[in-house]
Amino acid sequence: MDVLLQLTNFSFSYPETRNPVLRDVNLEIEAGRCYCLTGPTGSGKTTLAKAFKGLLGEGDFQGTIDAPFRPSGEEPQVGIVLQDPEVQLLTSSVGAEVAFGLENLCVAPAEMPNRVIAALEAVGLDKPLDFPVAMLSMGQKYRLLVAALLVMEPHLLILDEPGAQLDPEGLELLGKILLRLKESGVAVVLCEHRPESLLPVVDAFWQLDGDGILSSGRWVGTEESPRVLPPQPSGPRDREVLRVTDLTFAGVDGLPVWSEVSFAVSRGQRVAVTGLNGSGKTTLLRCLAGFLEPSDGVINILDGTPDPYRLRARLGCLFQNPQKQLFENTVREEVVFPLKRFGLSPAPAAERVAEVLDACGIAHLADLSPHKLSYGQKHLVALASVLAPRPELLLLDDPLAGLDGRYREAVMELLVRWGRERDMTLVWTSHEPDAWPGWADQVLNLEGGRLAAL
Amino acid sequence: MPRFDLFSPGGFCALNGAAGQDAKGQKVAVGRRMVMVLALSGLAFVARTPSYLLALTAIDLAVLFWLRSGPLSLRREAKMFFWQTLIILALYVIRFGTLAGLWQGFQISWQLFLAFLPGLVFVRTTSQARIVQAFNRVMPCRMAFVLSTCLKFVPYLLAEIKIIYEGQVLRGARILPKDLAKPWHWPDLLHCVVVPAVVQGMALAGNIAMAARARDFGRHPRRTCWPGE
Repeated sequence: MDVLLQLTNFSFSYPETRNPVLRDVNLEIEAGRCYCLTGPTGSGKTTLAKAFKGLLGEGDFQGTIDAPFRPSGEEPQVGIVLQDPEVQLLTSSVGAEVAFGLENLCVAPAEMPNRVIAALEAVGLDKPLDFPVAMLSMGQKYRLLVAALLVMEPHLLILDEPGAQLDPEGLELLGKILLRLKESGVAVVLCEHRPESLLPVVDAFWQLDGDGILSSGRWVGTEESPRVLPPQPSGPRDREVLRVTDLTFAGVDGLPVWSEVSFAVSRGQRVAVTGLNGSGKTTLLRCLAGFLEPSDGVINILDGTPDPYRLRARLGCLFQNPQKQLFENTVREEVVFPLKRFGLSPAPAAERVAEVLDACGIAHLADLSPHKLSYGQKHLVALASVLAPRPELLLLDDPLAGLDGRYREAVMELLVRWGRERDMTLVWTSHEPDAWPGWADQVLNLEGGRLAAL
Repeated sequence: MPRFDLFSPGGFCALNGAAGQDAKGQKVAVGRRMVMVLALSGLAFVARTPSYLLALTAIDLAVLFWLRSGPLSLRREAKMFFWQTLIILALYVIRFGTLAGLWQGFQISWQLFLAFLPGLVFVRTTSQARIVQAFNRVMPCRMAFVLSTCLKFVPYLLAEIKIIYEGQVLRGARILPKDLAKPWHWPDLLHCVVVPAVVQGMALAGNIAMAARARDFGRHPRRTCWPGE
């Protein structure tokens, strides 16, 4: 087999950190094979992927990354799709986006259109070249990024956490594209801690253990299928906390994102709203919280209209990537902030902080800066600060996105336990319809602009 | 026939052409349009009397109507003008302690709005590829890309700030318009929104740079240019 890249005793440390993220990594990447790099959140998967492409910034490294001599004499071209497609789409139209790499490689403009069209065909994206990128769904945006790399004719394609961005339909399509690429001799590396949907494509697994050591095999951790909760009443359901009647929301173009949405939630219930990316789940939550005005219909939330001023302290909301709301110097200050604003005096506030930090399993981090924690730990800090005021109703927008099995289960167990103990109602969205069977009392699915109970 | 509709169902103030049709102004070279937009913005800084401001507003609307690409709604800009005026008037009242300075405050807000409006509409109605091509003629291609990318990601960053703002409101930050009527709540806006927004902006810049390098931006000193659009 044709070896594209070879790492020998490769170690890497970020500046101002004592422990290396990667230690003495040895591996080979062969043409036409698909490797799946697994490991817990923060174990260095993305760092290793960046090393393959030569994108590591400041830091200390040892060992070598070689591209062995190939009969064709050319250096292997490496393409990488990082997490969060939104910030990797650098232009405003489909054609210009795919051509961006060609511009950088100084390809003659006359050659570009045919190559761009071929790349778009390879990923099955049938859109005009001047189609606005902003109007694509998340799955289409991901395929556009893949096309933007394929047009550069890579020998190795690296995809960082595609499962966090794509819904099941998008993953199935991606799997087919990867199979075709493998057949044409392209090597693929998937950095993914939940590769189930792409298993038919994978030829070999690597695992990073969290201490920088790479070995062959698949990291499992606590990644087993989520346990189905035993049937247990989630609290007294004597009163409705949320009723939505015939709600319609129109987007900027005037077309409805969804319409005639109706459902009711009783106190203490756990409700999951599922749907593909772009189906309007976040929009629904923002309407419920009173930040967006629906074009039609009625919302009754906590005995009134959705007015953020009225709902503060009674409604909690955790939006996607909640780490970005962190701003205090320590975890403790971050969690105490809402309590101070809601008028709790220092002694009970301190008690409440200790209780919630303990429940979240992050009491030992109380005096650390939240900005220096791992992704999963930051997520828990943000969640703790939302739980501390003990809201009656908590809205969570895809609260498990980007978390590995350990943190996913920790977050779900915490939410359910906290909800049961304090009679808190939970409404969460998810792009994975079957991710947590049995954890919700009611599952609603947004599809084709309509909401239906599953 | 294109129509000028101030109270369209799509928004408070909208300039509408036939759906999907661009105005004649779209056929003018991007560089020239950019010069026109800059000139209009510049004129806003020397407009000091109500009659001058009124005339400039009329010229702005006419030019923007002529330059538009498909239907053009000014709803967001109108909303921005409203809030900006409210904040400036509040600052004037606090500074002078009387209502005497209100008219002056309104004029300043009007001037500022006219300074930004042409640029905002230009960015919204001109494809990024065209802007890059225009910039490429007068500056190194690397700088042209950086400038056009900054313009492209402004709406994204604003949307991020909005999400941060909404999250902080429900965490108790006193940053709703009702709260901000009291100046002693303003530090919350700085701590809870501006600080995370700056952090977010820096992270965004880093991510964009990484994404560009991942597609070999900077591999050669010069770049070619996509011929489309």
